[in-house]
Amino acid sequence: MVSTAAPAFGSRKTGRARLGRIATITAAILVTLAFLYPVIFMISISFKLPKDIFTVPPKWISEITFDNYVSYFHQARILPRMINTIIVAMGAAIISMVAGSMAGYALSRMRMRGAGVMGGLILASRAVPPIALVVPMFLVARKLGLTDQYITVILAYVTFLVPYVVWLMRAFFKSLPKELEEAAMIDGCSRIGAFFRIIVPCSLTGMVSTLIFCIILAWEELLFALILTNDKAVTIPVAIAGIAADTEKGGLWGPLAAVGTLTVLPVVIFALAVQKYLIKGLADGATKG
Amino acid sequence: MSVSTRTPRAGADKAPARGSGPKTAQRFRLGEPGTAWLFMTPALVLLAGMLLYPIFYTLWVSFSDFDLALFEPVGWVGWKNYEMVLRDPGFLESLKVTGIYLVIALPLQMILGFAIAFLLNVEWRGRGALRALFLIPMVVAPVVAGGVWRMLLDPLWGVVNYTFGLVGIGPVEWIGDPTLAMVSMILIDTWRWTPFVVLIAAAGIMALPGDVYEAAKSDGAGRWQTLWRITLPLLVPVMAAAFVVRWLGAVKMFDIALAATRGGPGNATNVVNLYIYEKGFRSLEFGSASSMATIVLIITIVLTYFLFSISRRLENRW
Repeated sequence: MVSTAAPAFGSRKTGRARLGRIATITAAILVTLAFLYPVIFMISISFKLPKDIFTVPPKWISEITFDNYVSYFHQARILPRMINTIIVAMGAAIISMVAGSMAGYALSRMRMRGAGVMGGLILASRAVPPIALVVPMFLVARKLGLTDQYITVILAYVTFLVPYVVWLMRAFFKSLPKELEEAAMIDGCSRIGAFFRIIVPCSLTGMVSTLIFCIILAWEELLFALILTNDKAVTIPVAIAGIAADTEKGGLWGPLAAVGTLTVLPVVIFALAVQKYLIKGLADGATKG
Repeated sequence: MSVSTRTPRAGADKAPARGSGPKTAQRFRLGEPGTAWLFMTPALVLLAGMLLYPIFYTLWVSFSDFDLALFEPVGWVGWKNYEMVLRDPGFLESLKVTGIYLVIALPLQMILGFAIAFLLNVEWRGRGALRALFLIPMVVAPVVAGGVWRMLLDPLWGVVNYTFGLVGIGPVEWIGDPTLAMVSMILIDTWRWTPFVVLIAAAGIMALPGDVYEAAKSDGAGRWQTLWRITLPLLVPVMAAAFVVRWLGAVKMFDIALAATRGGPGNATNVVNLYIYEKGFRSLEFGSASSMATIVLIITIVLTYFLFSISRRLENRW
């Protein structure tokens, strides 16, 4: 652990410092709770009846109902949309992982003319706003009869996931010792063999955290899904945007909270389970170009 | 077709790397650059097809008349669409709204993020738990965040107005008033994204070299002096990097605005992405939508390049 580096705070000698420490810890807990409150609020609303939602003062404890999860879910076909989202997110994440980590490897480790320009271009594509892509995607998909299909949404997601994976994995591969594949190649392994047999197994942690990021990013994507789906392949964020629009006219708080909870819960569990890798991946992604 | 007749060049051009197993390569020893391009091929094909081609398509649509009956762009009209959108007050307004959002939200989130990271960095038993909990807002889909905050900020039933009422403020029209709607949008965005900055900052603070602090202590440096003279300068690269990543996300702002305010009231929170979306897919004005998208694309690329080079310089200087 590098925890010795904790600067500025943490001395325990004097009574004043001790008091400061307690104050800081209290502040830290309060800030965390404040940031968690909207999620707690959402979960609690999702189990409430309308009469307990629309009251002043707000009720902290009330009758518990699963109605928001049952009646509305059937009507709005939430379950199939959940499955759509899982398929699309997984598909896009896996394709992007394969293509992106291979490119990231080539950019970080191999001699290649134009590698700098290529890498720069791929990374620059992270700055392309999706809005600049949606009109053609919609027109072409419509012409080819590919709207409202998984593959279209998956390919659309690849546009922001591949640059992301290249970026993260390039940094990750750079951090591995060169001797790894050199040893393998001296033993008669080809580059490709060395990559799949040595580098990939050695990079599993980095790859898993990147994959999780991709799944989360694809899981919550809205714009592409909004434009490219309309019925069969509709994803959860699109459904939520629809409910949110209805909510403007009042009423659907419970269902909105219920769908929101179901969307957030698996990701939260997922994220907490792998938090160590996730935080590391996040930090590396930001700091190692 | 037997594998053995393939030349390395052809392999580099076509075969996705997974198809040609280690055996082929072993036998033919693809030259290093050839293999490198082989590794690049899947990503390049995907990006060429799904990114580059659409960008050129957008350009083409932006310079043509869009025929809604044929549902495709027909005929070159030059700068007509551009002239039109540059005279469109809605578009200019949406650029301004986006600018205000970026200029306020990004610095706010950076400052809050680093401040909270320092708070969370105090050593105690619950430190890891708090840091893990900070992951949670970050994985709430933006569209969900927008919807939930809309409830929290509801003028009639919202918890925020109830709390404000307890101290005699309000009722506050969070969504109904143009200025407050912008405040709300920035608030929601800040709630969603500050944890991201916190986690990056926390990792950066953890990685600070301990010996520098020992030295500062023995030289008699005070707490604030240490913070301003040592910690913050050492964190500049992390800040620069976090800012760039946050910028890349913020310019795509769409979901929260759609779910929370739908751009309203009027055009008060109509960020440019939302405006273009409405123009293209509600009013079916694909020509104008495409020229607006092209303008946004150019602005974004230029500003990103600018920020990137500043960030690089900062990262290298320290």
